[in-house]
Amino acid sequence: MQKENLYNQDSITALASPWGESAVAIIRVSGRDSLSMLSGLFEGRAGSGGRGNSGSPPLTEAKGFTMKHGVIRVPGSGEEIDEVVVAVYRAGRSYTGENSAEIFCHGSPAIIKRILDLLYEAGFRHADPGEFTLRAFLNGKLDLTQAEAVNEIVRAKTDRARAAALSRLSGSIERKIRSIKDGILKILAAVEVRIDYPEEDLEEEIVSERELEHWQEELEKLVSTYGIGKILQEGIPVVLAGRTNAGKSTLFNQFLKEDRAIVSEIHGTTRDYLEGVVSMGDIPIKLYDTAGYKMPAHSLEKEGMKRTDRIIRASRLILYLVDASTGVNELDREFFSANQNSKTLIRIWNKIDLSKRPCPVGFFPVNAKTGEGIIKLSEVIVERVLGGRSLESAEPIIDSIRQKKLLERALGALKDFRTGLSENIPLDVLGVDLKEALDALGEITGEVTSQDILNEIFSHFCVGK
Amino acid sequence: MDFDAIVIGGGHAGIEAALVLSRLDFSTLMITQNLDCIGKLSCNPAIGGLAKGNLVREIDALGGEMAKLIDRTMIQFRILNRSKGPAVQAPRAQADKALYALLAKHVLEQADNLEMFQDTVVDFIRDSSAGEIRGVITERGRRFTARTVILTTGTFLEAKIFIGEYSTSSGRLGEPAAIGLGKALRKIGFDVGRLKTGTPARALRSSLRLERMEEQAGDTEILPFSFSNSMGSIDRPSVPCYITYTTKETHRIIRDNIHRSPLYGGKIKGIGPRYCPSIEDKVMRFPDKDRHQIFVEPEGLSTEEVYLNGISSSLPEDVQEKFLRSVPGLEKLVILRPGYAVEYDFLNPTQLYPSLETKRIKGLFIAGQTNGTSGYEEAAAQGLMAAINAACFLQGKPPLVLSRAEAYIGVLIDDLVTLGTKEPYRLFTSRAEYRLSLRHDTADIRLLEKGYSIGLQKDKARQALLAKREGIDEIKELLRKRNVQEIDGDILPLLQKHLGRSFAHALKDPQVHMRDLIFCEGKLNKKKREWLDQVELDLKYEGYIRRQEKQVDRFKKMEDMKIPPDFDYDRTVGLSTEAREKFKKVNPLSVGQAARISGVRSSDIAVLLVYLKRGI
Repeated sequence: MQKENLYNQDSITALASPWGESAVAIIRVSGRDSLSMLSGLFEGRAGSGGRGNSGSPPLTEAKGFTMKHGVIRVPGSGEEIDEVVVAVYRAGRSYTGENSAEIFCHGSPAIIKRILDLLYEAGFRHADPGEFTLRAFLNGKLDLTQAEAVNEIVRAKTDRARAAALSRLSGSIERKIRSIKDGILKILAAVEVRIDYPEEDLEEEIVSERELEHWQEELEKLVSTYGIGKILQEGIPVVLAGRTNAGKSTLFNQFLKEDRAIVSEIHGTTRDYLEGVVSMGDIPIKLYDTAGYKMPAHSLEKEGMKRTDRIIRASRLILYLVDASTGVNELDREFFSANQNSKTLIRIWNKIDLSKRPCPVGFFPVNAKTGEGIIKLSEVIVERVLGGRSLESAEPIIDSIRQKKLLERALGALKDFRTGLSENIPLDVLGVDLKEALDALGEITGEVTSQDILNEIFSHFCVGK
Repeated sequence: MDFDAIVIGGGHAGIEAALVLSRLDFSTLMITQNLDCIGKLSCNPAIGGLAKGNLVREIDALGGEMAKLIDRTMIQFRILNRSKGPAVQAPRAQADKALYALLAKHVLEQADNLEMFQDTVVDFIRDSSAGEIRGVITERGRRFTARTVILTTGTFLEAKIFIGEYSTSSGRLGEPAAIGLGKALRKIGFDVGRLKTGTPARALRSSLRLERMEEQAGDTEILPFSFSNSMGSIDRPSVPCYITYTTKETHRIIRDNIHRSPLYGGKIKGIGPRYCPSIEDKVMRFPDKDRHQIFVEPEGLSTEEVYLNGISSSLPEDVQEKFLRSVPGLEKLVILRPGYAVEYDFLNPTQLYPSLETKRIKGLFIAGQTNGTSGYEEAAAQGLMAAINAACFLQGKPPLVLSRAEAYIGVLIDDLVTLGTKEPYRLFTSRAEYRLSLRHDTADIRLLEKGYSIGLQKDKARQALLAKREGIDEIKELLRKRNVQEIDGDILPLLQKHLGRSFAHALKDPQVHMRDLIFCEGKLNKKKREWLDQVELDLKYEGYIRRQEKQVDRFKKMEDMKIPPDFDYDRTVGLSTEAREKFKKVNPLSVGQAARISGVRSSDIAVLLVYLKRGI
């Protein structure tokens, strides 16, 4: 069998480092044309490779195993996204066996996302789970004795990815897309039945203008949530506030389950702020640990508290901690009165183990050190973040450019169908548009087969002579 | 060996099968229960229609007989869906049933290398150790040996007919079922299921008030089904059909008597087709619909019998008469034969290779309704392909398997052997992913060369095809080179906005038609009408066709990845249990086919690819 037949050598990309805040992130690209496609976004700095830079050869001519320093720019507008280093690998001597590269960029989710989006726009496809490994294997880059292991990896990754994709799809968005898909499937069935049963006693109108309008609006609405989805993907800002030593950093660590923030007994340890992304009930929460309030001692602390106020203003939710052993004092009251109308405040009664005082009304009891009450607290946070609605009933929001692209493809096809219908384009040709719309939606939720169309026909039309 | 090949059955599959083998110089025996029933149209008196009409023309391109038979026996011709698009236009003809059957029998009788014999096959002769077929044994104890056997028994295997409370062992009303063979197949280990289908009552024409119905006439122009017949060469009469409708009273009578239906009473266990439901099914399942169409179709020129299309029923005869008489125009109707349901054995077609050879017994091929299909055209297409592949088997050549992207026949057979069927399978255009490329008028371009290389098409037909190809290319070239000039705009104002552009470009405008361009360009006038029509469709929908061709390319890549027939799925770590079981059952021959099996996931296909690459 020919290698070339085994898979399409189209160019793929994926983030190789874990998603989240980090110093450096690595985005991997691979595919026969990956380097030339990447070179359209990359501009080398003097002395390095890159496009349109006098004296330096373009990325496409870079040798394997070389590093190129430069910037990623938006083609056209020229907007600079990030300063990066690109490691170039040549076919035959790369992990996948194809031309490939690794982009080292700054590890901010926003930047990573921007670069990935640019790569998609340049024609890269998001790699399927395990696809780099699969390609490596198919190109003979992995020892054949490892094949068994590779198989397991392919399977495990796919299953896990499937589960992850499904969990992301669970609930409202999946239901929404399914309902749109069912709507379009009904229209296609109405088209097909008129084709396959030409003599049947069927109504003239295939589908009402109102119905088409409806599905188009639904698709448009969903596409427009992409911005919101982005925020969701990057995390909803939630801030931990309170006086110094109220246990903010302890709670922060408890949520993150790692020793990221320095937790100490000295008041005002956290002079700057810390951020970390945690997942609560499938929603990414960008948690900020801030400098605590106290009677300001020196300028550095003043600066820290100013910053805390800025973060509080930018956050969706404030978790205000009070040390149960000291109780509510003037500073706390001041804060509460300043934020009394805010629906975004949760008062937390921390260190319940150190105090015999009962938890006051309106406070939420936890023990940040042991994690007691923290699961309940997460639930309350999720509930508050979603404005009291559960995720299930929340308006669906899309969070990936892949979904956005597929939805836009479906939308475009549906619009083409509408135009074609009004221009009396023949039905069989119009069927191509509807099938395209269904294919696009099917890629998000699962395939649509011709059997589905027939089932739809026979359950809704009384046909057959 | 007595014969090279034996064909069991003389229906539409059997006819094509026997002709293919005998024409390829194999000594062939056709055994049928009744020689007078060869080529009978058991149900509706029509050939063609949506997707089916394409099948007939594909059969013709490959060298089959059906198109020629209907061209000579039609009594009305229509192109369906003229307004609904190029890819789904389909020819259909009303047939003179008796004439059709007579002609089919006569063609068989005249064929060289073909013997026909009236008897009923009850068992097979096999070489069990080699797993090969050796011949057949008949009811009267005759033994015939052959290297290959094609089974085309239609609805006759262990068949049972139902009319209300009445039931009898019969394959067609008045004709005995084929008893014994079904049992033999079960004994060998085939997975045999039950299906059901039905047919409506036939009535005496003079008892109907046709003037109370809508008349439906045929087209004035007849496009021959066979590519060997040129436009205008078919000289056949054209008689009309009539349309009437059931009434609320009809539905009331049916509902009041539904308990007497063998279907609703639970006597029939086989699954009936959803696409062609009985009238009782229509009434019960769609209570909101207050009328259903009935087409009154002539059964032939030499008979007064008419076919009541749309109201197949297995209700008792008195109920049938009562509800039919509640229909306008049928008030005084005289029933000649009642409608009935027939339940019969079928072999789950996933037991076949795409060549239609059984996986269980080498040299045994199965075609037609026995594979769970319905329809004359579907049967004929399978009969043709089974026989072509039986011939390949006899010659030691690889089988001919048509792909889903090149023929409706490919869609039909791939669906059957990959997905199997739970109800009588009928072809629909919507089953074909690439139907824009499967137009009936391009069947010869798609398939005739194949028919020629098999040996079923003569050089003359091939030369005609080459001439057609050239002619079409010339027309396209002419349209691409000829630009729209001012004078054209004067003749045809529609062309004004395409000034300076080519005619080919202008033709993409939905408003502009070839018939208009002919006025402007005299050279076009000299070209053949069929060719002009074809070019018009090719160019008008070029963009869509291209889009589809891209999909076809992707499809072909998957099809080209072959899986060895002896691939051991049990040794393939990483497959889901469901996929493993399905793969073992269907034994797909390509990755594309594997991916179409229901329940198979993309991760299973990835695992399969890894193993195939490794070449275990």
